[in-house]
Amino acid sequence: MSFESHAQRPPFYDEGYGFDLFGLHPPAVERAVAAGAPFYDHYFRVDSRGVEQIPETGPAILVANHGGVLPLDAAMLCLDVLRQTRRLPRAIADHFVPRLPIVGTLFARIGVVSGARRNVERLLERGELVAIWPEGVTGPAKPFRSRYQIQQWRVGFAELAIRYRAPVIPAAVVGAEESWPMAKKLPGLRWFGVPYMPIPAFPVPLPTKLYIRYGQPIRFDRVAADDPAVVAEEAHRVRVAIEQLIDETREERRRDQ
Amino acid sequence: MNVLVTGATTPLGAAIVDELQRTSAAFVLAVGHEPCATYLHPGERVEYHSLDLTRPRSVHDLLWGPTRDHAIDTIIHLAQHRRVGDSGSRIHAQNVGATREMLLGAMEHPTIRRFIYRSFSDVYALRHTTTELIDEEAPLDFEPQAPQWVRDRVEADTLVSAHFGSRLQVAVLRCVEILASDVGSQLWDYLQSRVCLRPLGFDPMINVLSLADAAIAFTAAAGSTETGVFNIVGADTLPLSRAIEESVRIEIPVPGPLMAPLYNLRRSLAGFEFNYQMNLRRFHFGGVLDGTRAAERLGYVPQHHVEWPRPWWRMLIDRLTALRLAPQ
Repeated sequence: MSFESHAQRPPFYDEGYGFDLFGLHPPAVERAVAAGAPFYDHYFRVDSRGVEQIPETGPAILVANHGGVLPLDAAMLCLDVLRQTRRLPRAIADHFVPRLPIVGTLFARIGVVSGARRNVERLLERGELVAIWPEGVTGPAKPFRSRYQIQQWRVGFAELAIRYRAPVIPAAVVGAEESWPMAKKLPGLRWFGVPYMPIPAFPVPLPTKLYIRYGQPIRFDRVAADDPAVVAEEAHRVRVAIEQLIDETREERRRDQ
Repeated sequence: MNVLVTGATTPLGAAIVDELQRTSAAFVLAVGHEPCATYLHPGERVEYHSLDLTRPRSVHDLLWGPTRDHAIDTIIHLAQHRRVGDSGSRIHAQNVGATREMLLGAMEHPTIRRFIYRSFSDVYALRHTTTELIDEEAPLDFEPQAPQWVRDRVEADTLVSAHFGSRLQVAVLRCVEILASDVGSQLWDYLQSRVCLRPLGFDPMINVLSLADAAIAFTAAAGSTETGVFNIVGADTLPLSRAIEESVRIEIPVPGPLMAPLYNLRRSLAGFEFNYQMNLRRFHFGGVLDGTRAAERLGYVPQHHVEWPRPWWRMLIDRLTALRLAPQ
């Protein structure tokens, strides 16, 4: 089955011209998948387990750790879900990303949406799978010595998960931090709202093997989406689950080597 | 339901009057500035008055004369200046002053119970932090450097919105751009060129509204008792590049800084109205209005696609194809 047919399966909401409200265009997804396949199969040799934890239908939130100078981990995670399930994850990016020239348009065509509450609500209302990296830019911005240590942890996803009764699937990506670490960041350059300009340690990412692991879906039974304490507690549960997954996966990687 | 429609000589005003006539037994008091109504179709239940709404005395006479005599209960206020490039106190008087006079008059009026104001999606502030989906709570553009076109609309919108909860049922309909001729559409003017320049690296999503859908939305609002702000969206949501393609134009991506000088030159030489500075943020950041509230509370769902401003030869081919495909 082609990836275009994956992407055109419900819930792709065509607004009448082959694009959805956010600019998603299935042929662009197909091209992106074709372009990413050699990296997935041969360069990063992605080793994935547990993708069956993602529900086949209905609203769901995929939450993962974030690292590396550019979001290659996010790209490989989305590619992994697309290749192994029938679902197109809608990656939620920081506000500035969809507004970047060229990149913003390309990302919009493959389903990336900016991390605004109303956007995510609309996607969940439509029963889509949303992929969120609650660390935001603090994940890729951390120094190499802090690799695999979760940074700032935004909690908005937990509130929406409670409100929309969406299961949260924790995921860990191991290998991206070593693949393309950051040498330096230039905070002075703030074009198009970019918080800093990253200087990678290597001109291209190293071909490290990527390990992707999915945990058991976490369901929130509580209904107090407006209670900040409850939301913070549930978000922390997810963080702990991801930290556990990271530790287990790193241990597994050590055994492999 | 008896309705007073200001700006009734515009294509939108005339479409609303037609829709009111078609769907209800409403008596319509149509008001316009022009001595004769170009687009308006006469009818038994339509009465046309020509007057200048920028004069408070005219507004007073309208409200306490024919409006009271015909027991008008709903005002649909559309009278806004349409030419983007115009500015000055007279334009402000029409956009804001007339709205204020109409609103204050309606507050004291014995028969008017509902005031529907036509606002614009231009009132929303578009920044690099603006989300793709803009709901009614999104921040408005209060920038003092904004052109008068925007400032007037924001001022009038907030002026009307300040009366939510008063004895008058107030509804503000923030419409996305109506893509039609003679309605002040910047995009329509932009798509008139054989060659359309697009900022390199940006292809924002846009949403456009047809006249028919706009008329349906206002008619639905007139027949409802709901108050508040409602985004009125169209049935066509697509990237700018696709809109250019639909209009059978040639698209050339151009570095952003060159766009304004080139379109200023076009305006000076060919007399077009499209002003790139006015549309700069929309052409870079896009943003599509969220019409959920209007769907849920007014029952308005867009159904009619716009007619793209295609060249004559393409329209001829489309017509012939349609005739050939039509059942005998």
